[in-house]
Amino acid sequence: MAHATSIQYEPVAEIGGGAYGTVYKARDTESGQFVALKSVRVQTDQNGLPISTVREVALLRRLEQFDHPNVVRLMDVCATQRSDQETKVTLVFEHVDQDLKTYLERAPAPGLSPGRIKDLMRQLLCGLTFLHSNRVMHRDLKPENILVTSQGQVKLADFGLARIYSCHMALTPVVVTLWYRPPEVLLQSSYATPVDIWSTGCIFAEMFRRKPLFCGESEVDQLGKIFEVIGLPPEDEWPTDVTLSRKNFPPLMPRPIADFVSEITEQGAQLLLNMLTFDPLKRISALNALEHPYFQDEETLTQTKS
Amino acid sequence: MARTGFSDSKPLLDLHKKVDERRAPLRTWANACGPIDRWQPVDVDESRMAPVKLEPERRWERRLSLQTKEGIIMGFHEDSRAHSADGCVEEPVLLYPHGLQGLHSLQALVPSLLRHEVEMALEKLGLIWDRTYAWDVFLDMMRTQTWNALPTADLPRHFTDATRAVLVDWLIQVHETMHFQEETLYLAIHLLNCSLRQIKVTTANLQLLGMVCLFLAAKKEECLLPEVSGLCYLMDHTYTKHQLLRLERKVLCGLKFDLSYCPPLHFLLLLASIARCSAKVVWMARYLLELSLLEGQCVVFLPVHLAGAALCLSRQVLQEPPTPEGESAWCLASSVHVGSETALLRIIHILTNAAAKAHTRETCATFIKFSSPETMHVSRHPGLKKISALLGICT
Ligand SMILES: Nc1ncnc2c1ncn2[C@@H]1O[C@H](COP(=O)(O)OP(=O)(O)OP(=O)(O)O)[C@@H](O)[C@H]1O
Ligand SMILES: [Mg+2]
Repeated sequence: MAHATSIQYEPVAEIGGGAYGTVYKARDTESGQFVALKSVRVQTDQNGLPISTVREVALLRRLEQFDHPNVVRLMDVCATQRSDQETKVTLVFEHVDQDLKTYLERAPAPGLSPGRIKDLMRQLLCGLTFLHSNRVMHRDLKPENILVTSQGQVKLADFGLARIYSCHMALTPVVVTLWYRPPEVLLQSSYATPVDIWSTGCIFAEMFRRKPLFCGESEVDQLGKIFEVIGLPPEDEWPTDVTLSRKNFPPLMPRPIADFVSEITEQGAQLLLNMLTFDPLKRISALNALEHPYFQDEETLTQTKS
Repeated sequence: MARTGFSDSKPLLDLHKKVDERRAPLRTWANACGPIDRWQPVDVDESRMAPVKLEPERRWERRLSLQTKEGIIMGFHEDSRAHSADGCVEEPVLLYPHGLQGLHSLQALVPSLLRHEVEMALEKLGLIWDRTYAWDVFLDMMRTQTWNALPTADLPRHFTDATRAVLVDWLIQVHETMHFQEETLYLAIHLLNCSLRQIKVTTANLQLLGMVCLFLAAKKEECLLPEVSGLCYLMDHTYTKHQLLRLERKVLCGLKFDLSYCPPLHFLLLLASIARCSAKVVWMARYLLELSLLEGQCVVFLPVHLAGAALCLSRQVLQEPPTPEGESAWCLASSVHVGSETALLRIIHILTNAAAKAHTRETCATFIKFSSPETMHVSRHPGLKKISALLGICT
């Protein structure tokens, strides 16, 4: 099988080294298409591939069958044995030209147009709604993990992988950026699908700003940066199951979001605040976000235009 | 997962409505969804949305009094307009090819009663975490099951249905000794069916393949895993651990890690719950459904059809005295697979045959399993012989 994979996929270039491994651009010699290869090294024991890996990869495969336009295609999966203790699981994805980070960097001077931002956001939320209704959390949404095709189609990448890694990579000193993490994760409280909405809010703001919204250097610093914008949440919203006390933070009032994200419309600002809500239970869901007036008014706009 | 019978017979929610009022929207929905190629989520053809004139009383009377070959399928709407004349099996009612966009318009067409019943049943069966996603889960079940039916029943040349049945029978026994969940068995046989066609195995390695499929199914479904050495012991150490793990990787790669499966058992429990079936009807249907695992021809059918046919046959075999509540609940449950009479009839035929011969066959693990007091001795029920005589199947 190892043989078969290395023959079918011919490496072309290294795309990027993430925290957990290297992603390669390769050519599928059968179809001539470009693919992205991502390998996970999994510890195997007496009982073969761990349950967690089997289940997570199976879940990715299942989602794949729905053929969602805003989720990156998983074209193939392969397991090759490296040694008695280690198996390499290779995931073969369609290759997408760029990630959102590059896309934002490449955008000419004044940045993306409001219409473009709205379109990207809509696609992003469509993909998220799909994941969430299938009980899948992304957990690591950030511009690097969102791919954009040359036609401007958004494709979520890297979802579900977090869990495949985390079961086996506990020992690696992982440096994952804090900037898109929601308060409940920073506070180490329990979390669910609203984590992705927070990250999406941060990304929404970044599309206008062309630089990240909250650039903290530590968990506490990150929280401080967040409260400088949304204000210190009221006592009753502070989670009870956490060690970090609310008293560690100065009593800040919320500041107008337009101070940080200029050029955003009123509707957009409203949606952004719904996403950057401290209490995960009060944070807007992906499905409801899609129904927000911010997206509705564009339809009437394009209709009158055409 | 709910493993108990379904003695729960709460009355239907809107029993006060007249029978016609309850049924009309079902027909509307079934017709509107129609077969896959005609289903346009955006502009729904007016005529397909209009309720079809029904004569429910007469039809239902017929179903209850007749015990002919026809009698068995009377529970299904024989006048289904979606049914094509050439005997071709129609796609199930809930299919829509255009992805999630179809969802919202479809929702508008579904009678709230069925929707409510489906949601309650899924919740009771522990198949959902959150009621708000219940209907989505059901739609997913209906849609994903279509990926699970195989295009043909053909096996690679060196295997026969008989060899396959011997292997399945053995797996049923292993499964039982392991005290695994029922879902694990259905998944294991599904993986076996797929991998038999996907990867090359010699006859000598067939047993190992079966065991690997059961092992993988357990990894997907079970909380406690058996040791590989224990599995090798069950195979008399014919194969080494190393061979087993190597085949595990090969099967996973061959199937591209696709272990998703919507077991017919879930549809059976769902339909039985909506139909308020008695515990005995459910046990009988479970028995018949498990017999379908041994039948190579059954791999081409949709899980929901296998489940529907098993329940339908079970009711025929047991001939429990009908009640108006029971009949309307059954009607509601049947509406899930309106338009698939041909497939149901074929499955019923296969299952009747299988049940009639079950005790004489070499592969009788399922027969024995369902003859126990815990399963209400269903496999020994005299009605099974009677029904096969009615269908003209010789025992
Ligand atoms: N399918 C793909 N097509 C093109 N580029 C991709 C694809 N998948 C990932 N990449 C690129 O590879 C880069 C690094 O890989 P990736 O971020 O997925 O690694 P990682 O191990 O998940 O790290 P992290 O979790 O820190 O993001 C991504 O930022 C993205 O630009
Ligand atoms: Mg990444």
